[in-house]
Amino acid sequence: MQTVAKNDIGSSGGFSSGLGKALRDATLITLAACVIGLLSNFVHPEGIPFVAEKNYQTLVPCPVAGGKVTALAPGDAVLRSSETFLIDAREENEFRSWSLPGAMNVPYDYLDPTPAKVLKEIAGRIASSGARRVVVIGDGQQPDSGKWLGKEISGKGIKNVFFVEGGAKALQAASGSGGGS
Amino acid sequence: MRRFMNWPGHSWFALPARWYLGVVFVIACLHKIAYPGSFALDIATYDIVPLQLVNLMAITLPWVELFAGLMLIIGFRTRAAALAIACMMLMFIAAIIIALAKGLDMSCGCFASQSAAEDDPISYLTVLRDGGWLFLSVYVFLFDGRPIGLDTYLARRKKAHA
Repeated sequence: MQTVAKNDIGSSGGFSSGLGKALRDATLITLAACVIGLLSNFVHPEGIPFVAEKNYQTLVPCPVAGGKVTALAPGDAVLRSSETFLIDAREENEFRSWSLPGAMNVPYDYLDPTPAKVLKEIAGRIASSGARRVVVIGDGQQPDSGKWLGKEISGKGIKNVFFVEGGAKALQAASGSGGGS
Repeated sequence: MRRFMNWPGHSWFALPARWYLGVVFVIACLHKIAYPGSFALDIATYDIVPLQLVNLMAITLPWVELFAGLMLIIGFRTRAAALAIACMMLMFIAAIIIALAKGLDMSCGCFASQSAAEDDPISYLTVLRDGGWLFLSVYVFLFDGRPIGLDTYLARRKKAHA
């Protein structure tokens, strides 16, 4: 079969005239499509206003931390064990006002996953401490920051990760604020 | 170079490329046309287009995709359609690169909505895929000789009537 219309590159019209014609046609197509799109919006059952009336809620989905984490009662003796590595997931100011001795502060942000560098540092400190378990203390809210940070840490392959039920508030209540620093 | 550019075999290589691109763009626009609100949210998530233009873009862009895709499939004004698609691809690639630079964990919104973000998040592979489609559209633009299509039929009919 023979090609009827030779491509414009080698034709006498040359590339520029071919491009000009294509540009003109492309503009016409685009305009026609836009007009039909705008008209169809009037009859579309899910049509939207031409101009958005309010800002879109564009929070992108947060990555889901997938590791296993186990709940621990605030009065559990494991919390005082020398083989337990303590992590406090609360804000720095809350950590300064009260924390368990030896706890490492890693503030948890629900909207921003803990950087890989920080998780690597945590893993390194856990390994060098010789601890057999990790307990994460959160704010005790719903959801609990300790539980979610624990999931992130566990998701990085660290085993025996726990969180304290009720978080720091429950711990303070259990110890009468006497156990903290 | 000129010999390469004028090689008649290009027309036949450009034909499947033309049909493939056409099908991809028709499929890509269907969800967007059916759910303009969802596509508007996708556009807004990129945080590039001003809010006043988000809905207009969400309403019109899928129809441009539909027109260009159908024109490539039926072989009507194929170079113009390929040019329109190449321009859209450049726009999409730029948007994805900006989103990646911002660290956004989101779906590209190319075929479905943000709800598919977990299954199909943007990455540099998305850029590579879109780069492939850009290459194909440029190839069709440069080398499509329309061996099969409406343009060919119309040209033959015009010739017969002359």
